[in-house]
Amino acid sequence: MIGQDKIFATIEKVMASSKGDQTEAVFTGSNSGLTRYANSFVHQNVAVENSKVSFKVVVDQKIGTASCNSFTVTDLRKALRAAFDIAKRQKPNPDFDGLAKPSKYAETETFDQKTAKFTPKQRATKLKRVFSKVAKYDYEMAGAFATEEGEIAVLNSNGVRCYQPYTSASINTIATGENSSGYASGMSKKVDDIDVSGLATVAVKKCRKSRNPKDIKPGTYEVILEPAAIGELFEWMNFIAFGSKAFEEKSSFLADRIGERVMGENISIYDDALDPSSPGIPFDFEGVPKKRVDLVKNGIATGVVHNIISAKRAGIQSTGHGLPPEYSAEGALPANIAMVPGDKTLDELIGEVENGLLVTRFHYINGFLDPRVAMMTGMTRDGLFRIKGGKLRGGVKNLRFTDSMMDVFSNVLGMTSDRSAIPAWGATSSFYLPAMRVGKFKFTGKTDF
Amino acid sequence: MKDKLLETLEFLKSKGADYADIRFTRNESENIQVKNEMVDSIARDINQGFGIRVIADGAWGFAASSSLKASSFRKTANRALQVAKASAITKKQDVRLAETEIYEDHYVTPFEIDPFKVRLDKKINLLLKINKILCKDKRIHMGEGSMAFFKINKIFASTEGSYIEQDLLESGAGFVATALEGGETQKRSYPTSFGGDFGSGGYEIVESMNLLDNAERIREESIALLTAPALPAGEADVIIGSSQMALQVHESCGHPTELDRVLGTEISLAGGSFMTLDQVGKLKYGSDIVNIYADATVPGALGTFGYDDEGTKAQRSAIIRDGLFVGYLTSRETAPVVNERSNGTMRADGWHSIPLIRMTNHNLEPGDAELDDLMADTNGGYLFETNKSWSIDDKRLNFQFGLEIAWKIENGRKGQIYKNPRYTGMTPKFWNSCDAICNKNHWHVWGIPNCGKGEPMQVAHVAHGAAPARFRNIEVGGE
Repeated sequence: MIGQDKIFATIEKVMASSKGDQTEAVFTGSNSGLTRYANSFVHQNVAVENSKVSFKVVVDQKIGTASCNSFTVTDLRKALRAAFDIAKRQKPNPDFDGLAKPSKYAETETFDQKTAKFTPKQRATKLKRVFSKVAKYDYEMAGAFATEEGEIAVLNSNGVRCYQPYTSASINTIATGENSSGYASGMSKKVDDIDVSGLATVAVKKCRKSRNPKDIKPGTYEVILEPAAIGELFEWMNFIAFGSKAFEEKSSFLADRIGERVMGENISIYDDALDPSSPGIPFDFEGVPKKRVDLVKNGIATGVVHNIISAKRAGIQSTGHGLPPEYSAEGALPANIAMVPGDKTLDELIGEVENGLLVTRFHYINGFLDPRVAMMTGMTRDGLFRIKGGKLRGGVKNLRFTDSMMDVFSNVLGMTSDRSAIPAWGATSSFYLPAMRVGKFKFTGKTDF
Repeated sequence: MKDKLLETLEFLKSKGADYADIRFTRNESENIQVKNEMVDSIARDINQGFGIRVIADGAWGFAASSSLKASSFRKTANRALQVAKASAITKKQDVRLAETEIYEDHYVTPFEIDPFKVRLDKKINLLLKINKILCKDKRIHMGEGSMAFFKINKIFASTEGSYIEQDLLESGAGFVATALEGGETQKRSYPTSFGGDFGSGGYEIVESMNLLDNAERIREESIALLTAPALPAGEADVIIGSSQMALQVHESCGHPTELDRVLGTEISLAGGSFMTLDQVGKLKYGSDIVNIYADATVPGALGTFGYDDEGTKAQRSAIIRDGLFVGYLTSRETAPVVNERSNGTMRADGWHSIPLIRMTNHNLEPGDAELDDLMADTNGGYLFETNKSWSIDDKRLNFQFGLEIAWKIENGRKGQIYKNPRYTGMTPKFWNSCDAICNKNHWHVWGIPNCGKGEPMQVAHVAHGAAPARFRNIEVGGE
């Protein structure tokens, strides 16, 4: 960790030499460790220290970006000059009318000292206990246990100065048996919140209960989707529907439908980096304060997230969801999606299903089939269960689904009151989701296991 | 740099490391994107650092740092040792590496035109010119184009004595037209989707793509798709175009033949494989005409290099021979499991990543069919072109692919256009239904710059040689 003072001082020194009309710098740095295990031993174990500075230089509404991962003044100046040279050769962007102005940012607690100092030995020791515990059964454990400390800073020539340190801990764990497997995952800003042994127990139970899976015909079933399964769906919906690019391109199922019903009235989906359950930081990579954004409220399409440029085109203010300069072509994307929960327990939801399936998680979903209706396909994995008469009745072989998420989320019959944090695509991203009972879910194919 | 690398290896030996290698990498990239006759973004990045892999107490450790200060090398070496000792807490047996040759060499990608020396204006203007053609019709809601270039300097040194430097150069480009009318959206891409085509070499790769010549056709095809019917569901004979064949090989033969996956070490993310150890030499993977080789030596292909990131020389290995499954992609650690030496497929996506078994150029060998003859022989079937979506189960058996466009084959020619075509199947059954593969005149090595694997996720640049091929009685749909 370099620290706020040195980051600000070094980058300010470099930015002072900028020849651009406006200049922005985004600093990201991390010290991360990830312990990967399979067959109940650690087979990969990595520790990586890295930092990166991305510059955005503006000359007459022309924007150039360049980045480097060296933190020496000489290399940073080279990157800044490269951004200026690109800006000069760029075409003007009529939608750009300035970098962010200084703002007040919410104070959020995103750093935990113990997590920051968590060692490879501590990760391995926790895992060793799990391996010893399951050794008496015929199961093997696989997964990845990661801890990270990092810092993010945004500075610009308008006087924006944001800095936030963070920590993150996450684990995914799979128990594998002769012909079945089970999965569990967890994430938090604090490593102490990660119950490595408890999650392993969940995975082992799922593996045991789904052993000797039976064949089942593809078709339309009532299903319970656990939070990890919904998280997989949201990873895609984020990209194809809730970001500014998909919305502007009109490929999003929300495009031209704001104010219209797109899901059931019991469905409310929002992005909120400031929720205490979220690992999100209080500003985006343009230095704009993060706002809570309702994406779907009571089933009605309400909006998408924006950065400075997409907001200008939409005639509104940025919602604080800008990406680092080098990813600006992707527009703005949500990073901390949550669903308003229901009022049931998981057992109550299962108890309401006369004849259906419980899905632990999905695998290799693809959402490009027909994004206008959020048509997706994917496989189940690591615990697909038959439900009959309100009770789990053992495992079934994995199925392929192909279905419109507009239809799926219009058919939700109930949700749990408990929500789980599901790891997303970075240390400060997550989903916060309940389990959900869906009346109709289309399975279109099957596999052999 | 050489002194720092060799001193670090000596230090690790003095600390009792059984084996160590160190890899310095400097990646320089340029990415240009245009959209609707505007430059959307131009980004340049320089990313450098070093990673140290060590075996100590019989287990692996890896540590990496972007700091190139002299003190950072020893600090990172110590960290790698600590990580290895932590791994050893859970080890079941000591890590053993297959023997390998020791090399001192410098490999350079052959190229004609350094893309980083081509004027930015020239690159932008070509993309804008294409964009102008795409956007000529008001039904084109979005015209997009992109180019990307990568220059990679890598130095690998090991305690066994190898010292290998590589200067790799990769280039690629592509464009896409998105048509919109009445709530219907359809895309067409060229030369293929998701960023276009890539190869190892310079700007001559972009110049050879005939980008401008294809812009009008792509625009018109995307517009035609707006009013096309959805592909009816059912069973059909299908000719699959070569860029989609590349992805079919990637998902259903490339990933399941990675030996680390087969041995279970990728289960936590990507899954396992149906091509288990007991299937080698027994599994009739495809029909007799199906031959697939992993070949990191194909000139100009994106998966071509001099040495992998364990210092093993690039090579060609049989994976499927006359339809029979015969071999895996291996590393020095996994190859002894199948009584072999590594076939050189361990690659990391940067200094900060640990090498994993990755596809190189995983090629479906050309057959002997002429495309015109094959079309004439497939009346009533379909021609599928250009990938739109992909999904496959975690053992790589059940797959579903979506395409941008399908044509009914009528009297040996492209007839009725269909939108949203999809096909699905089970891997061995599908490949055993292959009864024709086009010849080398129709064969192309497609570069895929976005192959994901591992935790933390690594994105590898791989490639697949493929020609159009015919499959009988395939389950298709598009509703």
